[in-house]
This record gives sequence, structure tokens and C-alpha cells, in this order.
Amino acid sequence: MSMDSFLFWFLAFITIASAVTVVTITNPIYSALALAMTMVGVSAIFVTLGAYFLAGVQLIVYAGAVTVLFVMVLMLFDLKHELSAFSRGQISGTIKVATAAALAGLLIGAIVWTVSGFERVVSKPAAPDSADGMRELSHALFTKYVFGFEVLGILLLIIAVGVVALARAKGGTHAQR
Amino acid sequence: MGNDAVEIAINTIKLVVCFLLIVQAVPVLVWLERRGSAFIQNRFGPNRIGPLGLMQLLADAVKFLHKEEFAPAKAVKFLYYAAPVVALVPATLAFAAIPLGAPVHWDQYVFPLQGYEVSVGIVFVLAVSSLAAYAILLAGWGSGNKYALLGALRASAQVISYELALGLAIVGIIMTYGTFNFGEMIHAQEGPLHFSFMGHELVLGFLPNWGIFYQPLGALIFFAASFAESNRLPFDLAEGEAELVAGFHVEYGGFKMLLFFIGEYGHMIVASALMATFFFGGYGLGFMTLAELSASVATVVQDPNIVSLVTSLITFAVFSVKLAVFLWIFIHVRWTLPRFRYDQLMDLGWKTMLPWALFNTILTATLIYVGHL
Repeated sequence: MSMDSFLFWFLAFITIASAVTVVTITNPIYSALALAMTMVGVSAIFVTLGAYFLAGVQLIVYAGAVTVLFVMVLMLFDLKHELSAFSRGQISGTIKVATAAALAGLLIGAIVWTVSGFERVVSKPAAPDSADGMRELSHALFTKYVFGFEVLGILLLIIAVGVVALARAKGGTHAQR
Repeated sequence: MGNDAVEIAINTIKLVVCFLLIVQAVPVLVWLERRGSAFIQNRFGPNRIGPLGLMQLLADAVKFLHKEEFAPAKAVKFLYYAAPVVALVPATLAFAAIPLGAPVHWDQYVFPLQGYEVSVGIVFVLAVSSLAAYAILLAGWGSGNKYALLGALRASAQVISYELALGLAIVGIIMTYGTFNFGEMIHAQEGPLHFSFMGHELVLGFLPNWGIFYQPLGALIFFAASFAESNRLPFDLAEGEAELVAGFHVEYGGFKMLLFFIGEYGHMIVASALMATFFFGGYGLGFMTLAELSASVATVVQDPNIVSLVTSLITFAVFSVKLAVFLWIFIHVRWTLPRFRYDQLMDLGWKTMLPWALFNTILTATLIYVGHL
């Protein structure tokens, strides 16, 4: 086994093991930390593919910002209550694992179904110096795919406004219980 | 890692040396901080053990190693022990990607004077140092202490908020030089100040071609935000002794505490190194380009290998001086300014620095567009 394939299988194992841990572990904090580990693993796989910029952005956005917020919010909860309410029961645990399995099956099915119509092309990895690759990426993002890109931005904006509106409607931080 | 045994060996040694550089710089910085604060406050500081009190560091380290190994009863053991280690990782990883000197050309080999070369170095450093928030959160939650948790929440909210301003402040300099690579950025800052604007070549011979003359606002925002990123005064709300005892590391003692310390000073070193690289020409000599420097070294020695080695050592010394200046500013500011209130801190981050950083980005983009028209 060559160094590259060993690295790939090693990283894939770490990523998938932590992704499974996210679903199966009972403690929400460990679950969120395992999610962060998954993000780091995905980013490392990007590095092995030569996509350094994507790897960095993956780390900054998901591991560095989104999951940190998850962890921060989870730490404020009374976790003993959460543990017994959500994760201990056999029925709810089964539903949790089954949901995750169904989602994974859907995704794999979608990928296989989409790819089956294409010819198989083995592309060579991007050049180690990815400055040009980055230029191409941003060019494509702002010309060919600009519509999808902007729609995604608006979607995020709507989510942010919606969250503020929901919180406001219930009285915000000054809510009367 | 390399193509043959020599290259692999040298590259491995470089990784270890980069790690040791940051770990060994910390005691010196602590000494400098204590002596410097004493100098500012008209005291003596540690001056009993060894010349100038330098052996104080060794005594401290031995003391830390001999302290009782202790974990609080309510702590989550795994996270409690993991947090100090996690605190050490981001700073050392980030520092290893910053070039400390010109690359050495020895026969057929090229050794860059840094731990490892990443083609998109800036993205890498930002990505790795954004993971620093985890150490704070793990420590705060894992200790099972209210004060630690409050300190952790404050510190991580602060780090996340200022990361935005920090990142946006760099966008201007990235647009100016059009690269994510530290080496190319330093290369672009060589020689006297010269640029072309709307077809005119402008040369200002009395100034070096440094980033700060293109991006003064970006430099200011970046430097201020990096104070907040490394949790230093005037932004050390995470510690706030009067309110929180000591912040997220209140339950840590002995060597575990020291690891947090190394992490914090490591962030300071990384911030200073980035400041020097982005805005003050990195390892460059200012007015002299690298080619001119190595030509003038070549008049003294003949062997091209030695010329390259001496050139890199000179650039390394230049970089160290720049690093030391910024580290001293960090220390001087800490002992000069009072602490912000928490709402003031958030106001400054979100309502002042972020809009100005956005303005800087737009202004830079406009100027580049107009200038190249």
C-alpha cells in the first residue's frame, strides 16, 4: 500500500468513526466535539486531494466557527436532563440511529444514481501550487455559478432574520416565563 | 517530506526546532514581561537568581514540574486533561507555517526556513488558529466550575467575534499583493516604495516597500484584533480577576497551567510574526532586495552554499528583530492600558472594527480597480 492510499484510508477511518460517534454517543458535548473532529478529518482529506484553499475554508467556517457555537450553546444546558430525556431510551435511540442510517442511505443512493450515467474519468490531482486553481474557483463562483451562490447568501440572511424575529416574538432575553 | 535521507532528516529536524522555538521563547517572554512591567511601574522585578534574574525562569519551570498533580472532583477528567494539550497545538502549528528567513540553497537542495511550506499559508494559519477556541471551551466546561465556564464563554465569544475583524483586515493586503503565499508576499515587499497607479510609475525612495504604506487602516485593525485574539490586555476579559478569579484556567495548576501559558504566548508570537510578515516586509531587509543582499554577501565569501546560508541567517536575524519589536509592544500595551468593559469590547469588535475593515476592503478593491484601469 502506498503512502497516499494509507493516508486516505487512515483519514477516512478517522472521519467516519467520528461521524458515527456524533450519532451514537449519549453525551451531547462529546457529540459536538466528534462533529468538530469529523470536520477536521474532511479538511485533511481535502489536503490530500491538493485542495488547500477548500481545506482551510472548511476548517475556518465549520470547525472554527459553526461547531464552536454548537459547543458553546450546549455547555449552557443542563445536560443531565438532556441525557435522560433524549438518549437513554431504547426506542428514541433506535429512531436516532435509524434516521441517520436513512439519511446516509439517501445520500449514497443519490450519489450512485447521479454518477451512474457518467463516464468514469480519473483526473490527475491539482497542481501543488494552487494559486491558479483558486483563481479558477473564484472565477467560476462569481460568473458561472453566481446565481446559486447569491441565492445561498440570501437563504442565510433569511435564516438570520428569522431567528431574530422568532426570538423577538417570544420576548427575547427579557421573556416572562 | 523530501526525496532522499538528507532532505527528510533536515525537514524533520526543522519541525522539532520550530516547536522548540515557540516553547523556548515563552520563558524569555515571561522574564521580559516581568522585568518590563517592573520597569514601567518603577520596580525591580525578578533580579535575584542568576544574571539579571534570568535563572528565575529555570526555577519557575522546576517549581511547576514539582507541583502536586491534582484534578477537581467535579471535573470531566478526559476533557480536563485534554484541554492544555489542545491549547498548545494551534499556536505551534500556525507558527511552523510562517517563514522565518530566506530559503537556504545547499547544492541541489532547497530548505525553506520554516517548519513546512503551505502554498496558501495565510488560509492555513487562520484555519489552524481558529481552532484555539476549543481549548478554552474544553477547559472551562471540563473543570466543572462556574467561574471557569463563565470565563470560557467570555473568552470564546471574544475570540470568535474578533476573528471576523482580523480576517477582513487581512483581505485588503491579500488583494494588494494578490497572493495567499507568505513567500510571495514578502518578495513583493522588497526594495524602496514603488508602485504604478493609473499608468504612472511612482517611486518614493525614502520609504521601504512595506505593506503598512499600502494598508495603514488594515494594519491598525489587524494589530488591535490580534490583541483580542490572544486574550491580552486591554482585551483580557477572559481573566478579569475581580469578576472571575482567573477565567477558564482557574482549576488548573502546575504544568497544566504552564501549557495554557505557552499557548497564550504562542498566539502572541504568531500574531507578531503575522504583523511583521504582512505589513513590515517579513524577513526582508527593507530597502535592500534579497538578490542585492546575497550579492553583497558574495563579495566576502565565494562558496555559493555559504553565501546562501549567511544570507538566510541575516534575514532570520532581521525577522527576529521585527518579531521582538512587536512582542515588546504587546507587553508595553498590557502594562499601560486598563481593561475594557465587556459591552465595550463587543461594541468595538462588531460596531467599529468590522465596519472599518469592510470599508478598508471596499476601498482597496476600488483603488486597485481604478489604478489598473
